[in-house]
Amino acid sequence: MNASYLPSDYLPVLIQLGLALGFIITTMIVTHSIGPKRKSQKKDDPFECGIPVEGDARTPISIKYFLIAILFVLFDVEVIFLYPWAVNFKGLGVTGFIEMVLFMGLLLAGFYYIIRKGVLKWE
Amino acid sequence: MLPIILLSVFGIVLLFMGFLKSKVLLLPATLVFILAALATTFMDWGKTYLYFQNMLLTNNLAILFTTIVLLSAFMVVALSNSFIEDEQAQPAEYYALLLFSLVGAIMMISFENLIMLFVGVEILSVAMYVLAGSDKHSPRSNEAALKYFLMGAFATGIMLFGIALLYGATGTFVVSGIKSYVYTNAYGVSLLLYMGIILLLIGMLFKVSAAPFHFWTPDVYDGTPGLFTAFMSTVVKTAGFAALFRVLSVSFVGVYSFWWGTLAALTCLTLLIGNVTAVYQTSFKRMMAYSSISHAGYLLIGLTALGTQTKQALVFYSLAYSLATISAFGVLLVVSRQRQDTNGVNENFDAFNGLARQNPLLGFVMAVSMLSLAGIPLTAGFWGKFMIFTTAADKGIYWILVFAVLMSTVGIYYYFRVIIAMYFREGAAEPVKVAPFYRYVLIAATILTLVLGLAPGLLEGLV
Amino acid sequence: MILSLLIFLPLIGALVVALLPDNQHIPFKWLTLGVAMAELLLSVVAYTQFDQQQAGYQLLEQADWITLPLGNLGVVSIDYLLGVDGISLPLVVLSSVILLIGVLSSWTIENRQKAYFSLYLLLSGTIMGCFVALDFFLFFLFFEFMLLPMYFLIGLWGGPRREYASIKFFLYTLLGSVLILLVMIGLYLSVMDPVSTAVMAGLATDAASVDQDLIRLVQAQLADMHISSSQIVHTFDLRYMADGGNYLPNAFLSGAGETTFWGIPARMIAFWAVFLGFAIKLPIVPLHTWLPDAHVEAPTPVSVVLAGVLLKIGGYGFIRIAWGLFPDGGAQYAQTLAGLGVLSIVYGGLNALAQNDLKKMIAYSSVSHMGFVLLGVASLTSEGINGAIYQMVSHGVLSAMLFLIVGVIYDRTHDRRIDSYRGLLQVMPHYAVLTAVAFFGSLGLPGFSGFVGELFTLMGGFQSLWLPGWLPSVAVSGIVLAAAYLLWSLQRMFFGPLWTRDGVESTLTDLNGRERLMLIPLGLLALLLGLLPNVLFNLSNATVAQWLEKFNV
Repeated sequence: MNASYLPSDYLPVLIQLGLALGFIITTMIVTHSIGPKRKSQKKDDPFECGIPVEGDARTPISIKYFLIAILFVLFDVEVIFLYPWAVNFKGLGVTGFIEMVLFMGLLLAGFYYIIRKGVLKWE
Repeated sequence: MLPIILLSVFGIVLLFMGFLKSKVLLLPATLVFILAALATTFMDWGKTYLYFQNMLLTNNLAILFTTIVLLSAFMVVALSNSFIEDEQAQPAEYYALLLFSLVGAIMMISFENLIMLFVGVEILSVAMYVLAGSDKHSPRSNEAALKYFLMGAFATGIMLFGIALLYGATGTFVVSGIKSYVYTNAYGVSLLLYMGIILLLIGMLFKVSAAPFHFWTPDVYDGTPGLFTAFMSTVVKTAGFAALFRVLSVSFVGVYSFWWGTLAALTCLTLLIGNVTAVYQTSFKRMMAYSSISHAGYLLIGLTALGTQTKQALVFYSLAYSLATISAFGVLLVVSRQRQDTNGVNENFDAFNGLARQNPLLGFVMAVSMLSLAGIPLTAGFWGKFMIFTTAADKGIYWILVFAVLMSTVGIYYYFRVIIAMYFREGAAEPVKVAPFYRYVLIAATILTLVLGLAPGLLEGLV
Repeated sequence: MILSLLIFLPLIGALVVALLPDNQHIPFKWLTLGVAMAELLLSVVAYTQFDQQQAGYQLLEQADWITLPLGNLGVVSIDYLLGVDGISLPLVVLSSVILLIGVLSSWTIENRQKAYFSLYLLLSGTIMGCFVALDFFLFFLFFEFMLLPMYFLIGLWGGPRREYASIKFFLYTLLGSVLILLVMIGLYLSVMDPVSTAVMAGLATDAASVDQDLIRLVQAQLADMHISSSQIVHTFDLRYMADGGNYLPNAFLSGAGETTFWGIPARMIAFWAVFLGFAIKLPIVPLHTWLPDAHVEAPTPVSVVLAGVLLKIGGYGFIRIAWGLFPDGGAQYAQTLAGLGVLSIVYGGLNALAQNDLKKMIAYSSVSHMGFVLLGVASLTSEGINGAIYQMVSHGVLSAMLFLIVGVIYDRTHDRRIDSYRGLLQVMPHYAVLTAVAFFGSLGLPGFSGFVGELFTLMGGFQSLWLPGWLPSVAVSGIVLAAAYLLWSLQRMFFGPLWTRDGVESTLTDLNGRERLMLIPLGLLALLLGLLPNVLFNLSNATVAQWLEKFNV
């Protein structure tokens, strides 16, 4: 495959980009300028399924959600490491096994730490 | 590379020690752990080793920087006895995070692969983001953590972009590989390399809080609990300069003519902003933040005038600066806590009023530390400045030398405000109470500062 | 050995005082007095051991102190090198006298005695170190470290505006010393130690076998660039720095003057930097503004030491370092420099005339009198330089006396305004007589030391090949001004019917024994030096003659 491209080879991409941007900008300007505008208090209210607005939009939610979400991401990502190891299980041999046991050990230690800290207790 | 492994394991051990009923063991255990790491660091003394598939490289210079970092951490931890009394504190987590951040620092000091530099910076920074916000109920601490995190993440992003561009230009992440690329292509270096150098420098200069990437420093230093500010301004700075030195002196020494002008301009800007702004502070802690910016400027002089004695100057300066900074923060911690005003802890200059009368020892420790930071002879700080200035004189960059010297006289003014407050003003009649161990640490730092001031040749021949 | 003792006796004393418990019963002042008397004795011994016919440095002591490898700069070797010659020995003796008087004057210090005397002894040691150090770095260390005890002495025991005065003093002098530091680094990179270089280059087997001929050989080889840079040993030794042959041919501060900034040779810039450093200390108009502030706020003994000794380090630095290492600069700018001296003389005198605060008047008179030192040095004549040294010693004695006199009246009434007093002669006759002696001595009445110093510096100015005649002529007006402000004050304060502004006549008692013990010896010393000027000239003459050889072009 020819690995060297000339700058002119990218011209179609540039044109495509220009057209896309141009379309968006034009439609936005045109709708804003020719569309009818009517203002009233009801119309300017933030829309909430037709129900009158109640309270503040920034209601605090429990930190537990975040913690659980973060922990899920953490363990999820770390478990991914098991796949490449599993694929190369034979090739990596005993060394790989020991390394993985260490890795899982640390992971479990973290899990134990979380439980002891009471992060997973909801109430 | 045993210290990295040991510190990681010890950090985890500390986390679990936090479940014990008694928290008395945590402080001594952490000290022992740091000492163990220090001892293992010296096992590689006198040799050059590549570790982890050429990811890390240890040599004497790296060991010396590691020693400074570990020594600073040791003293900071030793000054942390207040955690035990504080109901809110979670000492086990703090200590564990400190140890983890040390792992990052050591990686920054001894990286051979730019990926390791990035990982080191991240490990160090993430731990520091958490510690900056460790005073959960103080809005200032929260602000510090958020600011530090946002700005830090941004800077690391830029740095990573720089590393990527360097890879694009040279096809390698290895420090010495980039060096050989620069030498073999001396007349046709890729433009990407220049871009990469600039972006990498921006990322690193942010970490050492050099102007114009210093805006986060005052707020973060001010909001972070004092002990972690001491850690931040010593360990992070030393590791940052070690990393800068390694990358500049190995990889980019071939294109010195490209970056030295930029660095020289930033050096002057850093010196100017750090010193002049520090004059106008009323809070001692903010003054120390600007002072740390100005010291980044002095250290940058050594890099701008990169030469054979730069490394010695950097090691000596970092050590002198760390010792003085930690003892200054050590005194600030006890004083601010025991002389509270209506806003809680009092970290202004007037907290020190009359301190020398009631606590001659604390006054002396603080005075020596301020004199060392100001660079008055017979303290370690003087020799640090002297070595830095000699590197610039040797390289023939006299204008930067003259500028730095003028700025160091500005420095005298604000450092002496503390001395004026301690010695010339009348203050509270109650002496500040200092725990014995705390006192020994402060005395040790002061004695080291004076000994290095009298016999700077002690470190001779180590690098 | 004797010079080391001069430095370390007070330093050890300071340490002992600092470590003793803070107890009312420990006689800190007696301890300090003992040290100061031992210092005087030691300096007299040094004086007797000194061979006045010989020009070079004597009583040399040398030891290695700090060696720091600095990469391709070679090794920084800072020696503990002490010695005195005809320029420094008079100042050493003067310092020991003034410091002893200063201790006596400190007798009334009640507040925090331990700290006071510890700092005082520290100051004494660093002052002595400044005068006897022959290694530039060692000199610089003493020079800069001296600021600290002085800063605390003014800041802790000073008057109401002491914070301002002490930090101003510190910043001004420190700015001067960083300029000196810059030049010092430059000099270090430019100068070789011929003895060690000879050994390194294999021209001699050991340092002891190097003689004058070999040094000349090494210098010739250096000039021809036969010595490689790795064999050159750099040095801070002032003796080698003063010898033009030891400068590396292409170095930053070499005599050829190839390095220039904005068209001005680096050597000239270096000369001005060092000059400014010491001119702040002397002080020279317009860098003098710290001095009146410092004097007004400082307690009496500190004023005495400041005026009597510290200012002399500026003049000493001129002769030893600014002119001594950069004779070309001194010669090239002789007119400008002498002009600055004359400006100080006249400006200081006029300012003194306008003061109502007696202490401030004397501070400005110091500015005026130290202007003569600069004039004498800039004249580059034997009379001028000898006169400058003489003027320094004379001013040391007389200004100490003047500040003590202010202290006497201030102790009694806490009021230093000249127009607060009239007719003091009636209640304080002894005080009036000694004041008259000091005033007449200062205004240059023949028979007192002030006359000789001013006469010789002016003679030097008139004889100098480098200066136009009108400069010293204008300087003469300084003497007239001195007569005016001193005699006017004398007349206003001491003559006429007795009157004080606040009606405090009852507190005005005549001198007590301790005050006499301070003032009478100083008065006698001023008289003795005025009648027998040769005591001093014999000491300095040979050295000055050799020093001037550099200017015979």
